[in-house]
Amino acid sequence: MNHSIIKLSVFSLLFSFLMMPLQGQVADGRAVGNFFKASGTPVDPKVSVSWNRYYTNEGLLEIYEQLVAAFPELITLESIGKSYDDRDLWLLTVTNKNNKPHDEKPGFWIDGNIHANEIQTAEVSVYTAWYLAEKYGNNSFITDLLDDNVFYILPVMNPDGRDHYMNQPNTFSTPRSGTMPLDDDGDGIAGEDGFDDLNGDGHITQMRRRNPYGQWRTDPNDPRRMVLAPPGEFGEWELLGWEGIDRDGDGRLNEDPEAGRYDHNRDWGWNWQPDYVQRGAYLYPFSLPETRAVRDFVMDHPNIAGAITHHNTGGMLLRGPGAREDERLYLREDVQVYDALGALGEKIIPGYDYLVLYQDLYTVYGGQIDWFHMMRGIFTFTSEMFSRYYLFNEEPTGGWGWGIHEDYFTFDKHLLFEDAFVPWEDYDHPQFGEIQIGGFKKNYIRVNPGFLLEQELHRLMAFTLFHAYHTPRLEIVELSARDLGGGLREVTAVIANTRLIPTHAGIDLRNRIERPNYVSLEGGNVLAGMIVQNRDLNVVEEQLREPAVIEVDNFPGMSTVTIRWIVEGGRRLSVTVDSAKGGVIRKDL
Amino acid sequence: MPALVLLFWLGSINNPVSSKVLFNDEKFLTEYSDHQKMRERLENLVVEQPELAGLTTLATTTGGKAIHLLTIGAGDTKNRPALAIVGGVSGDHLLGSELALQFAENLLAMSQEIKIRQLLDSVTFYVFPDMSPDARSQYFADLRYERSYNDNIVIRDRTADPDKPPFIDLNGDGMITMMRIKDPAGSWMKHPEDERVMVKARSEKGERGEYRLYREGLRADRHGRVHDDDVRGVVFDRNFTFQYPAFQPGAGPHAVSEIETRAIADFLFDAKNVYAVITFGDANNLSEPLKYNETAASARIHTGWKRNDIVINEMISQLYRKHLNDALPEASQASNGDFFQWAYYHYGRFSFSTPGWTVPETETETPDVYKSKELRFLRWAESNETTDVVVPWTEVVHPDFPDQQVEVGGIIPFAMKNPPYAMVADLARKHTDFILDVAALRPVIGIVRLEKETLGRDLHRVTAHIMNKGSFPTASQTGEILRWKQKTVIRTTLDNGQQMVSGRPVEVLGAIDGRSAITRSWLIHGRGNISIVVGAESSGFSEKIISL
Repeated sequence: MNHSIIKLSVFSLLFSFLMMPLQGQVADGRAVGNFFKASGTPVDPKVSVSWNRYYTNEGLLEIYEQLVAAFPELITLESIGKSYDDRDLWLLTVTNKNNKPHDEKPGFWIDGNIHANEIQTAEVSVYTAWYLAEKYGNNSFITDLLDDNVFYILPVMNPDGRDHYMNQPNTFSTPRSGTMPLDDDGDGIAGEDGFDDLNGDGHITQMRRRNPYGQWRTDPNDPRRMVLAPPGEFGEWELLGWEGIDRDGDGRLNEDPEAGRYDHNRDWGWNWQPDYVQRGAYLYPFSLPETRAVRDFVMDHPNIAGAITHHNTGGMLLRGPGAREDERLYLREDVQVYDALGALGEKIIPGYDYLVLYQDLYTVYGGQIDWFHMMRGIFTFTSEMFSRYYLFNEEPTGGWGWGIHEDYFTFDKHLLFEDAFVPWEDYDHPQFGEIQIGGFKKNYIRVNPGFLLEQELHRLMAFTLFHAYHTPRLEIVELSARDLGGGLREVTAVIANTRLIPTHAGIDLRNRIERPNYVSLEGGNVLAGMIVQNRDLNVVEEQLREPAVIEVDNFPGMSTVTIRWIVEGGRRLSVTVDSAKGGVIRKDL
Repeated sequence: MPALVLLFWLGSINNPVSSKVLFNDEKFLTEYSDHQKMRERLENLVVEQPELAGLTTLATTTGGKAIHLLTIGAGDTKNRPALAIVGGVSGDHLLGSELALQFAENLLAMSQEIKIRQLLDSVTFYVFPDMSPDARSQYFADLRYERSYNDNIVIRDRTADPDKPPFIDLNGDGMITMMRIKDPAGSWMKHPEDERVMVKARSEKGERGEYRLYREGLRADRHGRVHDDDVRGVVFDRNFTFQYPAFQPGAGPHAVSEIETRAIADFLFDAKNVYAVITFGDANNLSEPLKYNETAASARIHTGWKRNDIVINEMISQLYRKHLNDALPEASQASNGDFFQWAYYHYGRFSFSTPGWTVPETETETPDVYKSKELRFLRWAESNETTDVVVPWTEVVHPDFPDQQVEVGGIIPFAMKNPPYAMVADLARKHTDFILDVAALRPVIGIVRLEKETLGRDLHRVTAHIMNKGSFPTASQTGEILRWKQKTVIRTTLDNGQQMVSGRPVEVLGAIDGRSAITRSWLIHGRGNISIVVGAESSGFSEKIISL
């Protein structure tokens, strides 16, 4: 894998050291230049970004480069691989670089835009990186977070798809995949019958034709909208589908688009199933370059203990499993952690529900969250951003009603002033004759309207930071020695995990996924070593070989583990706790 | 390597002259081919008949060994039916690689015969002689032991040293056999019929175990435990997507994670012309065909063969039994994550597998109540004058069990799964004939008749009779539902000025059974030529032109 790291100029490094902000809360009761601070938001950010529009891949790269230049001590930019069309997969590593190597801190993974058309998921990822960097040093919660933890942020997993969505004619639901052409209609030719942007506006909208025997009629309340004719009556319109022409003469429209039908989120290594079972699956797990690059990065960074993968739409925080048969493998102790995090998520993001993927949404085989949880032992959520709820801050009723429900028309009319709708216009179609083309634009329904974007980015980020805060934090809370006589000493170390997430999920312990934690005593001749199960009653379990390095299967969340050694000689004793997901810490006696 | 410690054996039922085991015979090493020698044999075939054979290196393993593909056929090898022949799916199965390679050698040696030459003009053979070269090399190494995993080492016992072999050769004979540790709590005992063989004590019959049994020289971990699974790398035949055995020894980090598995999967997904896959490996659906199980076959994720595909399995199994006759190997089950099942369930092709040889049953007066494979092997070896296949149990010192009685002994590695080399040529000839018969049954699509009727005023009805002239259907029933199995397509091209009044210019067809036909017709207005092309890579293409 080609990891190219953006090199920083010496000048920008020096500059940023001089400009390092004071630690702790900054006095902000007065205006800063021309600005007065809104609570919770940087008043005069070093990198100014408008969070009410969407950025192309090139636009995002510009933001990354500005962030790296402004925060060289916090942010590293690297490409973790190439997409199908040879675009870089840009990853931001965000942490305090000056205290310890990032791979000795508990890691948190964030990705966005695995699905091409779900574009605001990149913005929420970049907002998170931006906010962390801007607030570091003037907010103690954020400062501690970047001192203790590391964030690995891949805002766009599918840059080809993002580019296609923005620059090619599409509906609000296309493309979901990348740009690899596939023979979707099985006729031996790939990508020969996709959409046709007949009116040339860059949006693929609906085609309708006047038909006295049609099923649809014009809504008397809004002439742009159609409603189903009542039972027993004919309407005035028939719907012909999305803008297109049957180019290959097989009697179907738009069935073999140039970007093939496949799904990066069905390409992961747990319970993978082929396309006839799981629509969208490609050849086998990690058969796509983008998912493979993420796999390689995650396998190479066993410190990743928590993750979120951003999607739209529906207002959800989803956990696995993706398939009913794996329910029994989401073990009680692991589900308890998800439940605690999910409950706060529901509170701080109105309109979001904490749900179980297979049970509350649909079945997903070979999905990303299951691979993260089941095969890497990483506590992982999927977000589903935006929903009809946000139109009027009301719980939607009567199904999702995408593009049909009257709420979308009312909102567009009174809040967007009909900016999200392509008005119906006549068109002479080579196969259907006189038709009309019109409907909602691709930037409506699934992605946030501009003025609703920043709030959701912030709320979802806040949930993410809470989740990251609860990745394991290990502390040696007691280190003591007692003379046993005859030149022997008993050394006791108590190690606490002060957060919710264990160093080893239940599923990890069951399948021996990650190595155990190692607690080692250095500086003396260790004759025996043991895990103390009950200190008061002296119940211990001895480790027979290599007692200086005690293997601890797990530091469970919100609890302590006690280790004891019997040592001969040695003056300067020190204890190191080396945990893949809990980081590396050390204490001298 | 000290020559005296080698206990090689050589025997044959076909060649009584050399049936005595030649103790310490260096020649033995040169018979089953190592990686280098196999490459030379492949290269020779290409040098001798470059117009019929091409050698490709699909990938290089972690151990630095090539994954070879030999493509056999004349002319355009891509757009006509192909058989894939796969050996070495299990690294301890030397015979499988030999059967695949000798098939290629036998076939090319016969290429001057008219019948064979015609076959090579219309069928392609993709021969993968060895999918587990890292593992297979352990047979030729200084320390010989049965191994099926590659060099992509994933050690589950994290205190073990990845640079050291998993075993200690406790008795210094250059081989890893078995090790028994005297322990009243153990579950193993000596076989009452033959003390060389260990069997599990039947506690329900009042028998008592006296030993713990492991492979020779396994080490204890920090907690003093010996891990029964010595699998360190990834096993080719446990790394595929159908019923992938996640977290089991040798399964790897996820399905198709390995260089070897990706190499063959990527090649085969691209090779749209393959209609059947023949594997030499542990599974066997040739000595006995699979049985239809309606529940398994119709489940949403089906785990049983579809009904029509079972019929084909029965036909091919009958053919196999005819060719193998009294050398028929024992039937055996497929296993989770194996290649053979992937080829059917996820690649959608007809898939056949056989080990090629298993230890034959020897007629004895006393049937073995323990059903010990070792005893069966020893009885067969003795009746075939094949001796020196056992290392007698001898006391040794194990560093992790200094105070316990540890003995090393048992059947020498590879002997139970691979016959004496002298038997291989005959087995290879039988399998070559079998494969050629399977090739003769390939699906062949053709437009057998093209008719026109003139209805008046330049309006014509064109009717095509399309037939599968082979015995295999154009697709398996599973292939029909799999996206990556190319379906049969009919494409009709008109001259300028002609108009299709009815019928479709392009149609994707369902499977056409062997020896079956379908018809399609079109109403065309206007004069000129009409071209009709029908087919798919796996059954060939047929084009006919008609003038109106």
